[in-house]
Amino acid sequence: MRKAIFRNVAVVSAIFVASFAIMLITNYFQVRSFNPLQADVMETLKKINDENANNVALQEQIRQLDLMARRAYFVNLDHLKTGIYLLLAMLGVLIVCLRFYFAGEKDIPGKQIDVVDDWIIKTHARKYVGWFASALVAVALVFVFVTASHLRGTDAPNTPSTDIGQIAAVGDESTAQGESNVNQANQTRQGEENTVQGNSDDNATQSLTTIDNASDISSGFRGNNSNAISSAKNIPDVWDLKTGKNIAWKSAIPKHGFNSPVVSGNKVFLTGADESAREIYCYDLRTGKLLWTLAATNIPGSPQVMPKTTDDTGLASSTAATNGKQVCAIFATGDLLCADMDGKRLWAKNLGVPDNHYGYASSLLAFGNSLIVQYDNTNAHKVVALDMATGNEVWSKTRTDKITWSSPTLVFANNRAQLILMGNPAITAYNPANGEQYWRVDGLSGEVASSPCGAGGLVFGASEYAALIAVDATSGKKLWTANNYLPEISSPVATNENVYLGTTYGVLACYDAKTGALKHSHELETEFYSSPMIVEGRLYVFSNDGKMHIYTADSEFTLINSFETGAKTFATPAFIDGKIVVRSEEGLYCVATKK
Amino acid sequence: MKRILSIITILFLGFLASTTTYAQDRFPRPDFESGYQYPATHYAIPNETLWLFVDVFLLVLMMGIVAWAVIRKRTRKPVFWVSVISVAYFGFFRSGCVCSIGSVQNVALALADKSYTIPLAALLFFILPILFTFLFGRVFCAGVCPMGALQELVNVKNYRIPRSVSAVLGIFPWIYLFLAILYAITRTGFIICRFDPFIGIFRLSGDIGLLIFGALLLLVAVFTGRPFCRFMCPYGALLNLFSRVSIWRAKITPSCINCELCHKACPVDAIRAPYNNKVKESRVQGVKRVLLYTIFLPVMVTVAALMMRSMSDSISRANNDVRLYDMVQGEATPKDHPVPELESFYGAGGTVVELKERVDVILADFKLYATFAGGLIGLVIGLTLLGLSVKRSRKSYEMDDAQCVNCARCFSYCPQNKIIENKIQ
Repeated sequence: MRKAIFRNVAVVSAIFVASFAIMLITNYFQVRSFNPLQADVMETLKKINDENANNVALQEQIRQLDLMARRAYFVNLDHLKTGIYLLLAMLGVLIVCLRFYFAGEKDIPGKQIDVVDDWIIKTHARKYVGWFASALVAVALVFVFVTASHLRGTDAPNTPSTDIGQIAAVGDESTAQGESNVNQANQTRQGEENTVQGNSDDNATQSLTTIDNASDISSGFRGNNSNAISSAKNIPDVWDLKTGKNIAWKSAIPKHGFNSPVVSGNKVFLTGADESAREIYCYDLRTGKLLWTLAATNIPGSPQVMPKTTDDTGLASSTAATNGKQVCAIFATGDLLCADMDGKRLWAKNLGVPDNHYGYASSLLAFGNSLIVQYDNTNAHKVVALDMATGNEVWSKTRTDKITWSSPTLVFANNRAQLILMGNPAITAYNPANGEQYWRVDGLSGEVASSPCGAGGLVFGASEYAALIAVDATSGKKLWTANNYLPEISSPVATNENVYLGTTYGVLACYDAKTGALKHSHELETEFYSSPMIVEGRLYVFSNDGKMHIYTADSEFTLINSFETGAKTFATPAFIDGKIVVRSEEGLYCVATKK
Repeated sequence: MKRILSIITILFLGFLASTTTYAQDRFPRPDFESGYQYPATHYAIPNETLWLFVDVFLLVLMMGIVAWAVIRKRTRKPVFWVSVISVAYFGFFRSGCVCSIGSVQNVALALADKSYTIPLAALLFFILPILFTFLFGRVFCAGVCPMGALQELVNVKNYRIPRSVSAVLGIFPWIYLFLAILYAITRTGFIICRFDPFIGIFRLSGDIGLLIFGALLLLVAVFTGRPFCRFMCPYGALLNLFSRVSIWRAKITPSCINCELCHKACPVDAIRAPYNNKVKESRVQGVKRVLLYTIFLPVMVTVAALMMRSMSDSISRANNDVRLYDMVQGEATPKDHPVPELESFYGAGGTVVELKERVDVILADFKLYATFAGGLIGLVIGLTLLGLSVKRSRKSYEMDDAQCVNCARCFSYCPQNKIIENKIQ
């Protein structure tokens, strides 16, 4: 009787397990093939929303749908998981019942299904192995045939014009990274941009990987990734505003600002502001003609009275950023404004009027389609990533650091991009895609205005009266500190071997990147606000008096050229192939070797 | 004994049912503009060093116990309890990691790539079972390996698979092993860990497909002995080799009365019945076959090597960089909704030139190592055919040392062994 019960339960549970397993497998493939975020309805609604960004009801509808889709997906997933545990539980019941059913049958009668003759078994086995080998060959052939059509082309893509040799010469991982961001920005640049570029119409139809001018963009403060290393080539090494030597054009800038120019294709962007208006300017790189101006007006939350700023900061110290599709700018009022490449306003918002005793000065950083904003003020401490096209928040992270004026930098280390932010008291690395904190190293103090830099897997940051700190970007460990010469406003730049910086009291210093030992220092009896840039293995840096100093970016750190340009310069120039775009105190000018 | 086994099984299942799932699904979070702050994710860092010492200590201790029980005492009880402890500790408590099966990949990668430092625990988990196998046979498989132990514990009936079929299925672990090594040394991934069918059960979390697969494998293990160990386990393939030359090993009871009970009880079909070699073909024909396979062996190795070489491009697509490069190549125009991988690649500062350089190196590695892997697969098939062409006669029951997993089940069935046990006691 007892045995019969176990047998019956075992049979029922076996049927349950078998049928349930089939259902689970079917359900598994159904759930797997469904992506809740790419439902057709959602895609359509999002498209409509892109075209009409102010439809609050629609946005709410999208949110609700999104929530429902996610909820449905996870409920499905939960059901599936519960089903699996149920399956395992029933399997347990089956095993237990079988055990009780067979209890006492010590000599389980193994069903002898093999023929007695060992040789016949082997003969069969040989035959099966032969079939198996043949099947293996057939499967391999089918596999090769099926996958061959999907295989990549054997030709390498057209190498971007970026001088790889030069990158190797600089020996800097970050240089390559800079180049890549250029690539990315180039790739995202669409037909509208190409129609403006006379020589790149074909680009619109080219594959992303074959756009050949990879160094015609300088996307933000200190170039791409804000890492002060440019992959531009054929850079002039002498010019003079007074004589016009190598000066392609000069233009006036309507309003004052200390921000630096950024370049995308044939467009130069910079900003200016005064009590009456805050504006983005777009110039033609080829002619210097002002193409359009966009004012930051009608922004909810924008202050009627301008916040107080010091003369050497002003309302427009933050450099704009572009990804080749949009350009964004921020002002000391907290007004953040984004436009397309033709000057059409896309969105604008006020991030909260910053309480900042000098004036807000952190520059923007373009990371793919995201705009990174470091917003460390007395009344707000955060870093946010916004969608450049819509202004929607991608992620946001509250910070514990005190007020800072430095700008975010992207460094590629440990096989991943790291968003490096200076702060007081720490340098912090984040995942630029989601804001996850990678590491944090204390050691800064005072008024942190200088921005970080990275090379060869190391990150460097410095603040005056504190230290120059080197951090292993893989482990997040502090490697060394040095304090011989420290920057105040100008930011350092690094190669695999050396770290270079300029101080407010006029010293250009070169440290060993691995040990922190001071290798060279040049006392120039001037001031450095502008940050040094490394281009073609040379270090370019403006002193405030408008003198350009060019050094070898190697361990010798020898002077190549030093000359008066003819105008005081505080901003950091933008380098693109064959050209330098400089914002001086007198205006904007472009340097290009005249043929 | 059966009753205890049942209770243990019930306890395990109770444990399974009462444990919470910690699986995570990753989707882009919804866009909020409400000022909502996502809480920071915190990961607790466990004190691993201490546990690794415990792991290695238990590994050695349990293999020692099994060796003592099987070779010295010829009894199953300690093996059973080792199985229970192994499933509980190495399986559920330590979540199936570190495991010797996966350590093959660490060792392969360490040998191929000097920049890779193999964790000491992984190295010990690789070497120690091999050392014990060389000394005492597959004592690790007996019950120390949580996967083998789990299958052993759920096994109720022992329906046999025809030996001719299991001879073919026995080739799979080798193929799996060579592919795992290939993917490990090309830094493509640790496929053994990724597709571990039991890890989801031990962790009560993970890929749902693998969980289902694990459950089905357990279901099969109820009716036939250790399907994973015999037809899938790549580490088992390695131990199979060392077990053939082990110094001390489990043996059929010396005073065997040919009762056949051990043969029937063996869950992995590792006991060969007596066989009087009734030759049904001429000796010349047999010699010819062996010669033919011997001559054919290098051809099979070459063909398999060339096949795998020609497949190297295709199988390299499992590599993230190669797949990414394919996506970059296939991307004709920027899309409205770009592929996340591409967005991430470009966003992270990747360049196509750099990627191409990396991919070229990976493809070259795949070509080289896939050729070796193919050659080895050809060699295994060839040697299997050769092994199946040799005639042997047996006067009494014999252990197949390569297949025997030292579960000691045969001892508990052997009437002669009872006499020996009583004598020992």
